[in-house]
Amino acid sequence: MPMDHSCCNRQMTVRSRREFLTTSGFGFGGLALGYLLNREQALGSVGASAPVNPLASRAPHFPAKGKSVICLYMKGGPSQMDSFDPKPLLSRLDGQPIPPSFVTKDLDLQFVKVEDMKLLGSRRTFRKYGQSGLEISDLFSRVGQHADDLAVIRSCYHDSFIHGPAMSVMLTGSVRLGHPSVGAWVVYGLGSETENLPAYVAMSEGAGVSTKAVYGAGFLPAAYQGTFMRTEGNPLRNLTPPIDPGNQRKILDQVGRWNQRHLDQQRQDDSRLAARLTNYELAFRMQTAAPELIDISSEPEHVRQMYGLNSDNTAKFGRMCLLARRMVERGVRFIQLYKSGWDGHTENDQLHVGSAAKIDQPIAGLISDLKQRGLLDSTLLVWTGEFGRTPINQGKMGRDHNPYGFTTWMAGGGIRGGKAIGATDELGFRAVEDRVHVHDLHATILSLLGLDHEKLTYFFEGRNRRLTDVGGQNDLSGKLVAG
Amino acid sequence: MNPMRMKFLPVLALLAGLSSSATAGFAQEKPSPFESVQAILAENCLSCHGAAQMSGLDLRQRESFLKGGSRGPALVPGKAEDSLLFQVAAHIGELQMPPESPRLPREKLDLIRQWIDAGAVWEDSSSDADPAGEEPDWWSFRKPRRPSLPPVDGKEWQGNPIDAFVLAKLREKSLPAAPPADKRTLIRRAYFDLIGLPPTPEQVDRFLEDDSPRAFQSVVNELLDSPHYGERWGRHWLDVVRYADSAGFETDAFFPHAWRYRDYVIKSFNEDKPFDRFLQEQIAADELWPNNLDLEGSYAIPVEKLRALEARVGTGLYGLVPQTGESKMDASRELNEILTDWVDTTASAFMGLTLGCARCHDHKFDPLSQKDYYRFQAIFAGSDTMEIPVVTKLSMFHRSESYSGFLTLAELRWTHRLLEKKVSRRVFEARKAEFPAEVVQAFEIPDDDRTLEQEKLAAPLAEALKKLGDPNGLTLLDLEKHLTPQEKVQRKELVEKLGHAVLKVPTTEASHQTHYDALFDIPKAVVMGHRQAELVPAIHVLDRGDLGKNLEKVEPGLPRILANGMDLEQPSSELAVPRSRAKLALWLSRPDHPLTARVLANRLWQWHFGSGIVSTPNDFGRMGAEPSHPELLDWLATELVRRGWSLKSMHRLVMASEAYRRSSQYFDPAAAQADPNNLYLWRMNRRRLEAEALWDALHAASGTLNRKLGGRSFCPTPEEGDLSGKNWIRVYADPEEQNRRAVYILVQRNFGFPMFETFDTPDPAVSCSVREVTTVPPQALFFLNDKMVFSQAQAFADRLVREVGDDPSGWIRQAWRVALGREPTAREQEEAGTLLESLTDSEVKAGKPDSLAGKGQARTRALTQLCLAVFNLSEFSYVD
Repeated sequence: MPMDHSCCNRQMTVRSRREFLTTSGFGFGGLALGYLLNREQALGSVGASAPVNPLASRAPHFPAKGKSVICLYMKGGPSQMDSFDPKPLLSRLDGQPIPPSFVTKDLDLQFVKVEDMKLLGSRRTFRKYGQSGLEISDLFSRVGQHADDLAVIRSCYHDSFIHGPAMSVMLTGSVRLGHPSVGAWVVYGLGSETENLPAYVAMSEGAGVSTKAVYGAGFLPAAYQGTFMRTEGNPLRNLTPPIDPGNQRKILDQVGRWNQRHLDQQRQDDSRLAARLTNYELAFRMQTAAPELIDISSEPEHVRQMYGLNSDNTAKFGRMCLLARRMVERGVRFIQLYKSGWDGHTENDQLHVGSAAKIDQPIAGLISDLKQRGLLDSTLLVWTGEFGRTPINQGKMGRDHNPYGFTTWMAGGGIRGGKAIGATDELGFRAVEDRVHVHDLHATILSLLGLDHEKLTYFFEGRNRRLTDVGGQNDLSGKLVAG
Repeated sequence: MNPMRMKFLPVLALLAGLSSSATAGFAQEKPSPFESVQAILAENCLSCHGAAQMSGLDLRQRESFLKGGSRGPALVPGKAEDSLLFQVAAHIGELQMPPESPRLPREKLDLIRQWIDAGAVWEDSSSDADPAGEEPDWWSFRKPRRPSLPPVDGKEWQGNPIDAFVLAKLREKSLPAAPPADKRTLIRRAYFDLIGLPPTPEQVDRFLEDDSPRAFQSVVNELLDSPHYGERWGRHWLDVVRYADSAGFETDAFFPHAWRYRDYVIKSFNEDKPFDRFLQEQIAADELWPNNLDLEGSYAIPVEKLRALEARVGTGLYGLVPQTGESKMDASRELNEILTDWVDTTASAFMGLTLGCARCHDHKFDPLSQKDYYRFQAIFAGSDTMEIPVVTKLSMFHRSESYSGFLTLAELRWTHRLLEKKVSRRVFEARKAEFPAEVVQAFEIPDDDRTLEQEKLAAPLAEALKKLGDPNGLTLLDLEKHLTPQEKVQRKELVEKLGHAVLKVPTTEASHQTHYDALFDIPKAVVMGHRQAELVPAIHVLDRGDLGKNLEKVEPGLPRILANGMDLEQPSSELAVPRSRAKLALWLSRPDHPLTARVLANRLWQWHFGSGIVSTPNDFGRMGAEPSHPELLDWLATELVRRGWSLKSMHRLVMASEAYRRSSQYFDPAAAQADPNNLYLWRMNRRRLEAEALWDALHAASGTLNRKLGGRSFCPTPEEGDLSGKNWIRVYADPEEQNRRAVYILVQRNFGFPMFETFDTPDPAVSCSVREVTTVPPQALFFLNDKMVFSQAQAFADRLVREVGDDPSGWIRQAWRVALGREPTAREQEEAGTLLESLTDSEVKAGKPDSLAGKGQARTRALTQLCLAVFNLSEFSYVD
């Protein structure tokens, strides 16, 4: 039985099967968090709102094809002019000083002074792919096979040229800590489609992520933060109960009642306590769902090959991509994968060749697989990093950080691919046409999921906060889904 | 650059307070029109239109001049008559300045007019100018001034001064104040706050029974006297100084002596070492107290030598520097990284500044130049870390007593090794002799130099020798088999002697080491010292922070904006090592330093309340948060200095305040909505226990906590899966060691202890001022399923049976009292009883229902599960 509740400035539909009280008979945390989300009502009069699970699936603001997101995050900042943004002029001017017309005062880079430097042309070869003829370099020849599904946004920009703050701005919209990550906003807006797994999962290969803020909930209630999962062995620690499962259930039921009472005794506004309650129910179900999720033994050989699981080079990232697909199938809303190996201050080309070889096949496989399963239309893929790289040579064949112009591509989620949007200047230094700020990217992502970035708000410290702050006017979703 | 400018600026601020006749005395050379006008402004205008920016007008910069205040631009360059500044100064029109003062003398007005008419030229102050005399325009760079207590409700405040500031703010914001917390809540709060452990039921009872008005004060005093206080508050400091037992990065080299610095911190807190001294010791003990620390072979160590040694261990702060340990990294880059860590850590920990931003460019937000940064770096350039032996009477005694024993052992082992070598050589040679000469010849050629043919030729021999042992290392797989009868006797004797020798050397405290290793295990600490003068690197400003792009060379120096005219003496000769850390330490610990006391007072507040008055305790710069209670912060900072930098004295003051003792509960929806983050402290903040406190609370409840103080770090036993690909440092310890307090758990930089990762311990790569608090499902899984938690639940159950006997309702009552510090309600008692019965039933069904013993065991198992349930209560993990 659908019920309507006014929440986060819009109508929210709670499907009865997702109501903890009726389905499982043991979840109580939802009561409290629903209470928080409906703070205005709750503070007004008793009984104004029925209890709502904060992670209950909710209808979007407007119809959209995208239901879930896989964010392929390239940590370090991949080079646009060696991958998705061909620059023939740059190749011609290789080794020459940068023409003065490209040098302006606002180009502030981390390590180099623009005017002193020589240009570094790409060592890659680009070619046209698919019917659309989208140009992609040989780093991503396999992803190139899906060119007609890709929308390449070549004019992304922001203004932070240091990794930490830039990563923060890409994934939370702000350079400062304490802001919710994109995934947290999405789950806040749409809720979860799984009762057995976290709605928002982060996975990493290699060095991992230095701060939890990039998958955190910031000032949103803690229930919306991402959960970090290991990709091998036990996906999470402590999945096996040390006691009889039946007794564990008894304990959980009673502990749930006690914790609910604790919360109700003048602690109602503490979202951590409320999140704790829902976490217990989630944890209980994760005990079986998480091992099942990462057990890929049932995946047939052709699928393994598709993701490159049979080659050492691609197996790690391939496994992450395959797990992402399995999560999408199981209703995980937002999946964030981190892949480092792009920070090419020296020997940039070599680094990119090595790193791209690890992800080209897995990403291509992911797109094929989603497509074959009819999931690509409802799954938005976003490939991005914290910035791009400079067209100038930083010493030993390296490229410095470049937040003034870089590439993000998207696929799926209703996008009609085979197109490039925006452009950088002829050297690839800065976005010049149809400039797309991070806020615009975020607005676009939300929009493809049916969320209006201006309406998806949360009241915090005196004002209604948005993922896009006061920006996001250049929402590309219209262009992306157009034929 | 105008030479006059150099002399002029430092006196500018002075001039503001002096009469015009005094001005003439300073100005011996004729000042430029700009300088004359600056002097007039300083004298007449800047007190309101400087940092105070009255009406939004700031006359200190040309830009802000032109921007003007609420009345528009103050200047129209080239047109004095049209410029507001001239109009108000000349009393043309209604607005006349300075207020309620006679008009400025004509000569001065003329100077202003001429300057504006000439285009209002602003002589650029180069970044090298010394702004020391100017009042910095950012609050935290000005000296704290002790504010008077604000009146509350129109009356002079009589109570705890802290409350005057907090209440005044609450009134200003129309926020209510929460009622006081009840006594049970208060004592649990105080225990976790000061010692990080829960009160025992007896301690709670005693407090509840004590009706005297000083009851809470006595609890606070008892806790401050507990040695566990230092473990709790020392851990806070360890976050700030990025404490770790390993170097980080891929290699993650072990720091075997880091724990001595950790113990030094704990001891310093326990002794209530004045913070100025604590600071001085950590930054520059070696320069400030350069005692000769040699052992001199004497048994009795003079007290002052011990004290100097302890202080010296404080400089171990700098030994905790993360290092790549990769040979790929060239030495100058590694040094540069180390210096960067030292500067950043020092600035964050003691000054609350993100100095690191100025490494590559002048600080974008704070008035810190790139040159400031490298001068600060130069302070450390002459220093290097080194290992020194640590003297204790006991180890001196053991060492000298046992030395002969260790030597005997070493000699015996060597004799045994010689025997082994002799025998293996014989065995290998004999086997070789069985092969044709050309095979042996091919074999004798080193692996890498053999041709493919020679390789083939040598293979059978190599294979044959491998079956016997290692021909290169001269070891045999089965030595005994190859011995002659005579050698057998010889070896038997040796082994016997070895056994006796092992028994004669003492067991060392280092249980992970063999006795033999202890011979080389001289107790050591890593401390700061100095490089050889010839090896002191020159420090240059680096263009964009890029190593190799040297700009000007710099000498040690303090950040100009803060130095307040003070600076470091430069070394007199090229070859002198600058001993400038001492100067830095003395400067930082000055009572009137604008940052040190404020930063510390703020940390103290944060650790008591969960959030600082400045919510960014490591950033008091412009990008940091501004204080919620600026006057309170300044009052606390000055009070801290007045109380001789005693933290314990400050704890007493803070904890006696009403603000500290308020309830944390949700009593006023309007207040919760108006100030959801409790910025203005209308109630107490509820806090989730940190990872360490959770570990300690679990062990305290179960009664397993080993309260041994200090010593080497220990590793909790890792679980399968934890170690995949991780370089876990194994420090073996007996089971008792596994139950020590969490502050003693090994902090490995590239592998976080899983429980701690789950509960948000900081990344020890850099100084951490505020821990994140996340709420994620893995935390629930931890409390439900973790092996350690379950073993503590078992111990808790044993404890209940031991303490209460065979009395299920007594178990429940005691479980609540021990774990939560309160009695169960009647309803909880009943519910817990029902749960226990139900759990027992299931266990009985699962076991052997007929046997009485079986039933007893089932009930014990059920009680363990009830204890597990108690650990899973929100109340267990949170402090109201």
